[in-house]
Amino acid sequence: MSWDSKSPKISKRRRSSTSKDVPTKAAKSASLKALIIDNGGYTIKAGYNRDEEPQIIPNCIMKAKSERKRLFIGKQIDECRDCSGLFFLLPCEKGYITRWEVQKPVWDQLFGKDVCPINDNPTIITQPLFNFKSIQDCMDEIFFEEYEVPSLFRCNPTDLAYLNYAKENRLSRNEACLIIDSGYSFTHIIPYIKGNKFIQAAKRLNVGGKLLTNHLKDIISYRQYNVMEETYVINQVKEDTCYVCEDVKAELREAAKPFSKNTIVKNYVLPDFNNIRRGYIQQANKTDEKEESCQILRLNNERFVVPEILFHPSDIGMKSMGIAEAAVKSIYSCPKIDRKALARNIIIVGGNCKFPGFKERLYAELRSLLPDLWDVKVFLPSDPITYAWKGGGALLKLHDFKSNLVTRQDYEELGSAIIQERFNNFMIDDSRLDDSSKPPKEQTNFKYLEKLKSRSIFGKQELCPSGSSNDPTNEENGAASNSKNEQGEDGIVDSNKEESNSVSDEASQDSFQAVEVDKGKKSKVTQEKQSEDDVDIDSDVSEEDLTKSLELFPFGTGSYL
Amino acid sequence: MTISKGTLRGSNRIKENDKRRIIDESQRKRRQRKVMEMLESDNYHDDPHADLVMSKKVPKFEDNLEQRSSRTKRKERSVDYYQFKYRKNFQQLVDEDRAESEAKQRPSYMDIQCGESQLPSRHFCAVCGFLGQYNCLSCGTRYCSIRCMETHMDTRCLKWAG
Repeated sequence: MSWDSKSPKISKRRRSSTSKDVPTKAAKSASLKALIIDNGGYTIKAGYNRDEEPQIIPNCIMKAKSERKRLFIGKQIDECRDCSGLFFLLPCEKGYITRWEVQKPVWDQLFGKDVCPINDNPTIITQPLFNFKSIQDCMDEIFFEEYEVPSLFRCNPTDLAYLNYAKENRLSRNEACLIIDSGYSFTHIIPYIKGNKFIQAAKRLNVGGKLLTNHLKDIISYRQYNVMEETYVINQVKEDTCYVCEDVKAELREAAKPFSKNTIVKNYVLPDFNNIRRGYIQQANKTDEKEESCQILRLNNERFVVPEILFHPSDIGMKSMGIAEAAVKSIYSCPKIDRKALARNIIIVGGNCKFPGFKERLYAELRSLLPDLWDVKVFLPSDPITYAWKGGGALLKLHDFKSNLVTRQDYEELGSAIIQERFNNFMIDDSRLDDSSKPPKEQTNFKYLEKLKSRSIFGKQELCPSGSSNDPTNEENGAASNSKNEQGEDGIVDSNKEESNSVSDEASQDSFQAVEVDKGKKSKVTQEKQSEDDVDIDSDVSEEDLTKSLELFPFGTGSYL
Repeated sequence: MTISKGTLRGSNRIKENDKRRIIDESQRKRRQRKVMEMLESDNYHDDPHADLVMSKKVPKFEDNLEQRSSRTKRKERSVDYYQFKYRKNFQQLVDEDRAESEAKQRPSYMDIQCGESQLPSRHFCAVCGFLGQYNCLSCGTRYCSIRCMETHMDTRCLKWAG
């Protein structure tokens, strides 16, 4: 509520463009034609930045039982008559390219004359977060030496999604966003703060579309037909029938009803690759002649239990948190100032977002997990699969983009290592990168802090020896133990000021908090001569606690504790 | 008297279960890992073309090769070249990444993986998919009713991934 009015509507720096340099930029971007490739684990989205829509090409080589002596590379699968029992050769393992013997032919086919030739244009290709060095080496070699691209750029698909969102919504650079990319191999949750990735708070959930398809295949094979070999068909079944429900228990009750009264149970006509090329859900009261000879799959609770894994991986025994929980955790590992903005700019991309009800469910879960006063908004693009690809256009329009492009000359002169630095550090703030050297630094700092505390610079309060107060993952603990300190201190020093404040309204409390935060920061900085993220976060938390508890303990908490 | 008491009291199911092999925790974990591997696998079946004898020398993607070689004089590299030069399995890559991230003091691939959930896990019957509140004594699989339990015993329990 209060932040709505506070958030600056007029931003000084817009990512997209300011009025001044529109003409020059427009001219530039018009002259720049680039090939954009979103190299996903299951499909490649490729096309030129001027194209409306990318081509979506399977990123795999397939072998069919019916057609021996032939491989179907990428798009060629359209030529395959009988897609039963397709055997997949996938280039990616857990989202990272490890089988070059598969990836190379797929690219060869993709960049061939009749699909999407490179023709000496700059190329932008996506790579997953923390793409391994050896994979990047190979990509460099393939693109510069084999395909001879004049210039290359690599970034994460979430970068592109962020840029696209920022452009579409004319977002100010200060507005933080949370991108959730739920794809075939995994689900990434990455916060963007001030236009940069905040990788310390990034999360990966090892659940993707592949796992869901395999799980569905497994349970159908156990309950009805053996479809273990029909990954391709079952993937279509998943796409056609599965959805995310609002409340599992209620949905299960509905599914438990007899089939006549049950709205969930559906008959799915499996393709026979003779008359029916792609399966479909059978209409309730119409019986087609065609269908009589076909196999029919009855889907009931499978329809919503399978996508549930995204929200509760523990359903299949995975020791991992679900997508909503991870998103909340990610938000809470970000600096406090940005958290509200993150909650109101959640963008979901990737194929799993196409499950009906996915957005609503995610919203409901986030809403219940995040504080009441925060606005939560989940944005689902019209096509979550190509959304990142479309961000390529926004990337080209960045004013400093041309300087980021790595030319073949750069590659030859500087070598892979340096240009990879450039790719990997794209949209990562350098100062934040320094912060990311947290683990060792944190410890030393903490020891330092401990020493300071023991010299009672912080006031009269007693030391809290628990190490948890500095652990961002264990925030509640930290807040609790820390608040003790801060309360003791502030209760003594400025109790008057705070008393008056506790009467005033929310907004002023907020600003007061901000002042306090600044004060805390400054004092600590001067004391330590070293600003450090974690301490700041902790102090934020503790001060929030402090203001809350002040209403309860207006005269300080020393006596109560 | 005592003998008859022993025979009368207690459920038959539990008595039967006493005879059954019970899988211990480590073995259950191993089974779980196998299930997860299965869920990550690309294919269940074997390569349908495995029995075909294809000569490796035969260029499989001729059209592309021709097209590019006309454009450039640079050496054409075969697929095997990349496969050989950059052949690393996933674990090696992760290990390398960890070493690199430590040197550069940045988060690594493993660091951003989600931790364990704070929420209690829900239990679904492995047979019918509805909520299942009972555990199979032997293998720990969930089931919801006697009927599902019997199906489970007859089909999956200790039958696979032992």
